[in-house]
Amino acid sequence: MTAAVIKTQGLEKRFGREQVLSGIDLHIEPGQIVGLIGTNGSGKSTLIKCLLGLLRRSGGSSHLFGEDSWNLSAQAKARLGYVSQEFAILPWMKVQAACDYTGAFYEHWDHPHVDRLLTEWELPRDKRVSTLSVGQRQKLAVILAMGHRPELLILDEPVASLDPVARRQFLQSLIEFSADEKKTILFSTHITSDLERIASHVAFLRQGLLGYCGELDTLKENCKRLRIHAASPLPGDLQIPGTVRSEINGPDALVTVTEFHAETVAILSRQWQARVMMEDLNLEEIFLEMSGFAANTPLMESTT
Amino acid sequence: MTIRPSQFEIHPSSGVPLFRQIVDQVQAMLAGKQLQPGEMLPSVRQMAAELGVNPMTISKAYTRLEAEGILERARGKGMVILPQPIQGTLAQRQRELEAAMQAAVVRGRQLGLNNNQIQNVLNKLLKEIPQ
Repeated sequence: MTAAVIKTQGLEKRFGREQVLSGIDLHIEPGQIVGLIGTNGSGKSTLIKCLLGLLRRSGGSSHLFGEDSWNLSAQAKARLGYVSQEFAILPWMKVQAACDYTGAFYEHWDHPHVDRLLTEWELPRDKRVSTLSVGQRQKLAVILAMGHRPELLILDEPVASLDPVARRQFLQSLIEFSADEKKTILFSTHITSDLERIASHVAFLRQGLLGYCGELDTLKENCKRLRIHAASPLPGDLQIPGTVRSEINGPDALVTVTEFHAETVAILSRQWQARVMMEDLNLEEIFLEMSGFAANTPLMESTT
Repeated sequence: MTIRPSQFEIHPSSGVPLFRQIVDQVQAMLAGKQLQPGEMLPSVRQMAAELGVNPMTISKAYTRLEAEGILERARGKGMVILPQPIQGTLAQRQRELEAAMQAAVVRGRQLGLNNNQIQNVLNKLLKEIPQ
C-alpha cells in the first residue's frame, strides 16, 4: 500500500462549546481526486484548515505527507497548493506582478505554465487585482496555487463564483494537473455536477461527521432506489439490506439502499408478488438521500 | 481508422458511472458495426481532455474492455479493437440475452403494448442492426 497523502484519525475541532468536527477519519492516497461534499456549515472549510495546520485541532491526529499538520516543514508546504475561500491577493498589485511576486517565494516556479494559464484563462496581465471581477480573482488564485507544480492541491469551493465557461476551463486544468498520476486533489464543493466529471472519490460531510467516503463509481453502482408495487399491503418494517431511507404506503414502497444486489429485486418480487423497479441515482440525489433531505420524492411516478 | 472522442456521449450527472457509460457505448458501437475489429480507440489523454473527465475514468473503462477481450493495448499505437469470438453455448448466450430483454418487455407492458406491438419494435431493431 502506498503512503497516504492525507491521513486523519478521530480529528476533532471545537470552537468554544461548539463541536464543528467530531471524529473524522480520512485517508487519501496519491493520485486520488477527492470531492468533499457538504451543506453550508457542515465543516468543510474547518476540516481543510485543520488539515493544512491553519487551525489547531482540538483532538485526534492529522498528517500531511506523513507530517503532523500543525508542524508542517517548509518542504511539505512547498509540495502543496491551496486556494481558500477568502483568498487575499495584494489588491494594488497588477496580475503579472502578483504572479512574479508569488513565484519568488518558491524554488521551482513554472513561469511558462503560469504564463500559458494566464493566456488561456484570459486574465489581463496589466490590470490591478482590485479591479478584477470575483471570478477573475478566483482564477488568479487557482493559477497562483498551481504555479509551483504542487503534488497536492487543496481547493475550498474553487468554482463557486466562476461562470460555466470558466468552470469548464478550470476543470480542464485540473484534468491536466491530474494527468500525472501521482498528483492528488482535494476539493470541497456543493456543485456535484463538476465533481462527477473529475472526482475518483467522494467524501460526504454532514454536521461534522464523515458519511460515505470512497470511490465515486462504487457509490453509484451500489446506491439505488427501489420502487416497489406489491400485490398486497407491505409491512411498515419492510427489511431490505442497506436501507438508508424508506417510504411505505400500503402496497407501494420507495426504498433507497446503499448495498444494491440484483438478487434483492428477485427476492422482493417473489416474497411480495411485487413489481420492483430499480432506479439509478446521481451524486446529488445520493447525497440528498444519505443526508435525509430527500423526503419529497414523489412515491408514485406519474403514469402518463 | 480511429474513432473520435466526440462520438462518445457521456452524461456525468447520470446514475451510471462514467466508465460504465464508455464501456457500454463501445459495446453498442461494436454491435452496431460502427466499430470494427482492427480499429483504434483514442488515447486515454485525448479522451479525458476532449470529454472533460478524469483520465482514470477512461483508463478504467479501457481496462474493463481489455479484460472482456474487446480491446488490446497495442504498443505505441493505443487501443485496438480485437476480432470478437463468440463465447459460451447457445443456451448460455440466450440466457444472457433474456436478462436484458426482460427489462424491455416489462417496460412494454407498462406502456400498455400487446405481444404483436412489442414484436414489431423488436423486428424494427433487428432490421436496423444487421447480423
